[in-house]
Parts: sequence; structure tokens; C-alpha cells
Amino acid sequence: MKKYFRELSVAGALGVLLIALAIFAPAFYQGQPLLSLLTATAPKLVVACGMALIIIGRQIDISVGSQFAVSGACGALLLGHGQPVAVALPAAMLAGALMGAFNGALIAGLGLPSIVVTLATMVSFREALRWKRQGELINIGAAQWFGLGQGHGQWTIIIVALAVLLAVGCAMRYLAAGRFIYAVGTDAEAARLAGINPRLVTFLNFVLIGALTGLAAMMAAVQSPLVDPNAGVGLELLVIAAVVVGGVSISGGRGNLFGVFVGLLLLSCISPALTYLGVEAYWEKAIQGTIILLAVVADGWRSRKNKN
Amino acid sequence: MKRILVLLLTAGLVLSGCGKSDTGSSADSSSAAPAASGAKKLTIGLLPKAKGNPYFVSVAKGAQKAADELGDTLIFDGPTNDDASKQNETVENWINSGVDVIAVAAEDKDSLSTPLRKAEAKGIKVVSFDADVLPDARSFFVNQATPQGIGYALMDKAAQLSGNTGEFAIITASLTAANQNEWRKYIEEDLAKNYPNMKEVDFRPGNDDKTTSQTVATELMSAHPNLKLIMAISSIAVPAAAEAVKQAGKIGTVNVIGLGLPNENKQYVHDGVTNCVILWNTGDLGYLTVQAADALVKGTLKPGDKTFKVGDKSYDIAGDKNDNILLGAPTVFDKSNIDQFDF
Amino acid sequence: MSSSHKTGGTKALLRSHEFILFVVVVVEWIFFYFIGTSKNFSGHTVGFGTLDAQFDILRHSCEIGLLALVMTPIILTGGIDLSVGSVLGFAAIVFGKLWRDGHVPIPEAMLGALAVGACAGGLNAFLITWLRLPPLIVTLGTYSLFRGLAEAVTHGADTFTGFPDSFNFLGQERWLGMPAQLPVFVIVAIAVWLLVHRTTFGRSFRAIGYAPEGARYAGLPVERRIALVYVLAGVVAALAGIIYTARLGEAKADSGTGYELFAITAVVLGGTSIFGGSGSVHGTLLGVAAVAILKNGISLAHGPTEVADMLTGVLLILALTASIVPKILSKRPARVQTVPSTPQPSPTS
Repeated sequence: MKKYFRELSVAGALGVLLIALAIFAPAFYQGQPLLSLLTATAPKLVVACGMALIIIGRQIDISVGSQFAVSGACGALLLGHGQPVAVALPAAMLAGALMGAFNGALIAGLGLPSIVVTLATMVSFREALRWKRQGELINIGAAQWFGLGQGHGQWTIIIVALAVLLAVGCAMRYLAAGRFIYAVGTDAEAARLAGINPRLVTFLNFVLIGALTGLAAMMAAVQSPLVDPNAGVGLELLVIAAVVVGGVSISGGRGNLFGVFVGLLLLSCISPALTYLGVEAYWEKAIQGTIILLAVVADGWRSRKNKN
Repeated sequence: MKRILVLLLTAGLVLSGCGKSDTGSSADSSSAAPAASGAKKLTIGLLPKAKGNPYFVSVAKGAQKAADELGDTLIFDGPTNDDASKQNETVENWINSGVDVIAVAAEDKDSLSTPLRKAEAKGIKVVSFDADVLPDARSFFVNQATPQGIGYALMDKAAQLSGNTGEFAIITASLTAANQNEWRKYIEEDLAKNYPNMKEVDFRPGNDDKTTSQTVATELMSAHPNLKLIMAISSIAVPAAAEAVKQAGKIGTVNVIGLGLPNENKQYVHDGVTNCVILWNTGDLGYLTVQAADALVKGTLKPGDKTFKVGDKSYDIAGDKNDNILLGAPTVFDKSNIDQFDF
Repeated sequence: MSSSHKTGGTKALLRSHEFILFVVVVVEWIFFYFIGTSKNFSGHTVGFGTLDAQFDILRHSCEIGLLALVMTPIILTGGIDLSVGSVLGFAAIVFGKLWRDGHVPIPEAMLGALAVGACAGGLNAFLITWLRLPPLIVTLGTYSLFRGLAEAVTHGADTFTGFPDSFNFLGQERWLGMPAQLPVFVIVAIAVWLLVHRTTFGRSFRAIGYAPEGARYAGLPVERRIALVYVLAGVVAALAGIIYTARLGEAKADSGTGYELFAITAVVLGGTSIFGGSGSVHGTLLGVAAVAILKNGISLAHGPTEVADMLTGVLLILALTASIVPKILSKRPARVQTVPSTPQPSPTS
């Protein structure tokens, strides 16, 4: 129990929020709008899974928002030109994987610091897309919902996100590859001496988050017939905050996907909660920042207590 | 060794300052070129609020058309997303690079006026379009519709669709977006004056993000079960809100109107989700702006003129100071006419 | 990576990151001079090569420069501060509110804003040093918090403008022939340079960044020094907020959005290692110059903003790669670098 204290407290906070909503704004729990909210949050969960791996591996990736926009645009363009989902979806994931590979090559291959490399690619990727598209929306018409229609489409998206969460969570726990990431994140040198190849692990980590971002971008894109090439602004901050609030340590080596799940839900519920509770919108950022700080302070308090 | 570096750096800066001052007054770089030869190729700087915004891209298309016809060079540049400080910097760089006339859509009325006054002092002509600056910072404002006109048009249409009674909500861009805040002022003014049985129940930002706007619209509908209408005053929020209404299964229960581009909203108007979008011909706005800018430099448009002629069209110049060139009234794009437009 | 006074000689100077960057800046400058300067219709020179343009480049980079300057000691100690842009905005709002609604005279309002900056930096300092929390996440939280407070105070929509001309002078006019904010910037630059390079206090920053435990054993009051740099960052960010307000003639809740990333870019470009332990203030100044010349140079040559931003990203990657090349050439395998650790033993899970 103690080991999962953090994840459980975040779940608890989420629970408190949900109960408050049930009492003061039961309208939150209507079927269709709740489903739409979950569907909109699903792509972010997929990206958060990738980000959890990155941060556990003691790296960071602030270019995911831009990758999201670029791979989403690639996939949407293919759909708009009549290509089937079976072509567009892998293409988007491939685009994401390539961008991730570029990051990975610089970070793992050349040993450059991830925060700076991804800062540079964040700016470059987004501006390149802006220059190319000039803000024009992409029409995917009948490919909306992957052609499945709204009801099935929404459930498909939610299930895919949960499947990714489960898959990544189990992989981290039970597969050797998952343990490698924890090892590299705790102490890369020790991992190397133990026979793990930290550079390969890191490189693949960035490729993976790129591919997951591509998947997420397509999941988001098909929720409407018009795709915006300006999508994903601020995604990296939300996802990193969710991962950290969920208990993944920024110093690497610690954290699990359940925490990420509740962390993301908590942060994604702030804005709707404000609307349903009738609170003015301009409190959102302050509340978000406070939650992040509380989560981090709780971490610090605990480790101070543990040391004394 | 570090001292050498610092010395070299200082020397570099000093040298740069000496720059080209030997060719004389670098200070008054573009004292108004004598408008003698009409064959002069003018350089016109067109500054949007955000370069990647499809609205401004369509304005720029019309502007480029005018520039091509007149034989002028058009520079279309600015911040890639709303940023008042970058707008100022772009204007200042244009002043220093010797453009002949600057046409701006202000993200922020007060702060952009500062460098524009400098431009006018240096003999560079200034016009504004879409979003005005302070009157003393420009010669003319190419006005597609006053904020009051826009606000009232939206509120009146909303009332008409709701039978003059009921609740409505507004989705805006970001909370700090100046244009939107001004329109809200007039929407609420019209509401208070003329529609006592209607109520604005909420005002939420969509942050110019399609997904966020769509989610916000969904939340508004379920948080306010009696909601009759969503007014989207950020152009990306109009199709987003429509999609939200469609997915919530509330076509016909909740109306959608807003300020949006026809192309982005055609399918929703035809599906009956969005009743109409209110806008103006953005290409014409760009075209008129460049024509006015050109004429201002060449002297065919002067302060005090009552009309401005372009080809065979004549535009009224009105406003308290007779400095608003009026494009015309806002156009309502609905089922009957939206297909005729491509922007 | 920085030019160290230990290894002497001209050869080391020529190979130092700062010198190479200096050469890059000069080449950049010459390049934009040629593509960005021309004569206009009446024969006057216009564009990059004019004094006005150069002064405006200085004016445009003043606030970013201040943030980058004060970010340097923070990064030297192995930390980071993502909240400086938000502190800039929040301080600007406080300044505006004190003056307009509190009817506080301008000088006192400025002091109020600086005090708020100090408190903001103090919050960061407290969380990072007393509670030993990772700077990246603490400042990610305060980045949202301070921006959120600015939006809450103004309800997002309110702006403060109409400042007296004597105030706007600071951001817009010339004083003794140079932009009025330049002396302020120069004073801060010299002060930070002296602090980092000429005081034992400042020299300890690099020690703390390089080996925090070792520094502690050596008797350095590590926490106090780290706390100081974050408080200093808050104050300077508030100062930047005041100058920003004077330059635009207005204070808004979104003032300074995105500036923190620009500042980090300049610092890293200047050769300071993001992991701490090595770097220089003059490197940061060169980094600011490199980016400012690039962005303004393209704008003055009537090129598109998107290209300027893309090239900034490319420049950053090239600079990082270039600094790695000597390592690769010396045939030592590059280890995987990881996120900067906090200056304390890694937190037990």
C-alpha cells in the first residue's frame, strides 16, 4: 500500500472531484457528453503513456505537440485524398516514428541533452508545418470516426486508448524491455555494465513515443470532418504534468502507468469541472499550476520524512 | 583571454553602430519619397494578427491580387500566433527596412499604435484593417464592420433564432483576445438594451484550438440543459461547435451561429446544424486595403476624402473622423448563398 | 566546454565554444548586412545596415536578454527555471494594477513589481531548496500558477495602459543616443557577469552544478546559493516585465508568453551545459545576439517568420552537435545524457 501511496492519493483527489461534481453539478454525468469528454481525452492518454516511458528513462520530450500536429496532418491528407484508414493510420505512426527517430539519434546517438534537442525540434517541426499548410484545415469527410460512425467510433477510440495503457503498463512491469527502461532511468552506467545497451533503449523509447503520438493524432483527427494543422499546442505540457502528478519521478526510475492514468484524468477534468460548477474560466491555469505544485510538494514531503 | 573576447565583442557592436552612417542620415531612412513618378514600385507591408490563421490567409490572397494589379511588392508577414510584442517588432523592422506603407490588423490596439506613430513620423503611411489601432496612429481604417456592428449583428441574429427568449453561451478565442472582448462588450450591450428575456449564461475560451473548442461546446450544452444557442466568436470554434452539437444529437435544439469562414462551415450550414455564419468577403477586404494603401502613398487618397474609388466601385468614407473606409455591411452566409463563395 | 582559465593559450581560446559562436555571430551579421541592406527610392540606406535597425534589434532582445542572463547561473547550478516568462507577465500586471487602480506612483509601483518578482522567485527557491524538489517540475507548476494568477487578476481581459510618457520613455525612446533600456541591460549584464565569473560566490555555481555533493562536503552553503539565484531570477524577470510594459506601452496577462524557451535557447547556444557545471555569461550574451540577429535579420530582409523560427531550431541543434564533435573525435563513446538531476541525492521512491 505504502509503495503506491502517491498513485492512490491522486486517485483519491480525482475521486473527491468526481464526488463534488456529483453533488453540485450532476449534469456532468450525462451519457453522451461524458462519452465525448472521454473520447477527447483518449488521444492524450496514448501520448501520456509514451511520455511516462520517456520520463522513467530519465529523458524528456517537449516536441510531442508538434509531432502530433505533423503526423496528424500527414494522416489526414492521405484520408482526404481517399486513401483507406489502413494506409493513413500506419503512415501517421510512421511519420511520428521518424520524427522520434530523429530526436533519438541526436539524443542517444550523439549524447545531446534531450530537453534542448526536443526544444529545437518542437519549434522546427511546428513552424515547418505552418509554413507548408498556412493554417488551412484538411477535410477528411467520410473518413470521420474511421468510417465507423459516431457511436462505434467513440467507443473504439476509448478502447484503443485503454488497450495502449494496459499494453504499456504490462510491458513495463513484466517484460524485460520494460525493466531495461527503469534500469537506464535509474543509472545508465550501471545498466550498461549490467549488459543493457542504454543508447539503444533510449533511441527506441523516442521512436516509440513518436509512433504513439502518431496514433494519438489520428485518434484525435477522426473526431471531426475537418482537421486543424494547428492542433496539439500545449499538449506536451499537459502530458508531462499528468505524468508527474501521477507519480513518475522526473529523476527517472520510478513510476507506473496507473498513476499516469489518474493524473491525466485529474488534470483533464479541471476545465470541464469549472464549466459545470459555474466557475469563471480564468481560474483554470492557476488551479492547474497549484495541483502540479501540490503533487510535487507531496513527493518532497514524503522523501524528507523518509530521510529523517 | 576572456577580456579579449569581451573587447572583441564590444568592438563588434561599435563597428555595427558605425555601420553605414557614412552614407549620411541613416535616421530618416525613408523620408517620404516624392510621389512624382506613379511608376514607382511600392513596398507594402501587410501585418495580420496571426499568419497561420486561415482568415488572414484569405485576406492576404485578395491583397496579393491587388498588389499584382498595381505592380507593388507585398510583404505578408507577422507572428505565427497571436502575439502583440512580435507585431510591434515586425513593424519596427519594416520601418527600418524602408517600406512605403504599412497595413495592420492589430492584436492589441494600444501597444501597436506606438511603433505606428514612429512610422508616420518617418513618412511611412499607415492604414489599418480588420482590427483598428488608435486613430492618431494611422491615416485610414479599412473597416469591414465596426465592432458594434458585429456585436449587434450577432446578438440580433441570436435573438431572432431563439424567439427573443432563452439562454445562450459564447465561445471565444483566448481570454486575452482583444477583438473578441470588444465584440462581447457590444453583444452584451445589445442584449441589455433590447432582449431582456434572453440570458448569456456562459463565456468560455476555446483557445483557437479546434479540439478544445469542440469539448467546450459539449460541456456548455450539458452544463446548461436549457441552452438554445451557441455563439462562436472565434473562427475555428464555429465548425467545432457545430460538430459538438451534431455529436450530441442536438441539431435543431441548439443553434449555432458565429463569425466563420464559409468554406469551413458549408457542410454544417447545409446539414442545418449551423444556421449561418456572419462575415464579409475577406478577399475583398485585403484587396481594398492594398488599393487604399497604394492610393494613400500616391496621393489619390487623402484625409478628408468622402469616397474612395477603385475601378468602377466606390466606397464610402465615414466614421466620426471620416477615416473609416467602409467595405460594406457584414454578410450573412446561410443556406441560400454560402455555396457562392470560396474562402 | 567553456573557455577555462586553467588551460591557457590562444589555441584553447580559438577552439572554445564562445569564440566559435562569436565567429558565427559575426558571419551572421555580415550575411544579413548584405542581404538586408539596400537603398530606397530617394537614395537613403535602409535595412539591416542602419543604426536604427541595429538599435531596434537591441531593443527587441532586451527582455529576453535579461531572462537569459539570469537563467545562466540557474543552469550553471544544474537547475532550470521555466517560470520566468510567467513571472514577467505577472509582475507586469501587478505593476499596472498598482499604478492604475492603486494609484501608486510609478517608481513605487516598479518597486512593488520587483518585490512580487522576488516573492515569485522565493516560492521557486523554497520548493527547490527546502523541500528539495526537482526544478523542472516545480517551475513547470509555477509557470502555470503565475500565468494563472495574472489571468485571474485581470479576468483575462483587462489591460493596463495609458502610462505617462516619462515611463514609456524607458522602452521606446533614446537616451544619450542609445535606446533607453540599453543602460539597464548593460548594468544587469555586467553585474551578472561579475557575480558569476569574478566572485567566489559565483564560482561556486559551477561547482554546485558539477558535483553538488562534493560542494556540500566542501562546506559550501549549497541551498542558500541556489535559493539566491532563483530569487534573483524572479527580480530580474519582474524588471524585464517593467521594460516590456514600457516598450509596448501596455501590460497584459499574456505578456512574455514563450520567453522562457527563447531564453533557454540563448543560454544553451552560448555554450552553457544544460546539466550544469560549465558555461559562461558572455556565451549567453553571444547566444542572445545570435538568435536576435537571425530573427530580426530575416524580418528586415522581408523573409517569413516561420523560416526564422525553423532556422533557430536548426541553429540550436548545430550548436549542440558542434560542441559534441570534439568529444567524438577524441574517440570517447558518448554516454547517454539524462535529465539534470536535482542537487541532492536522488530521491528514494
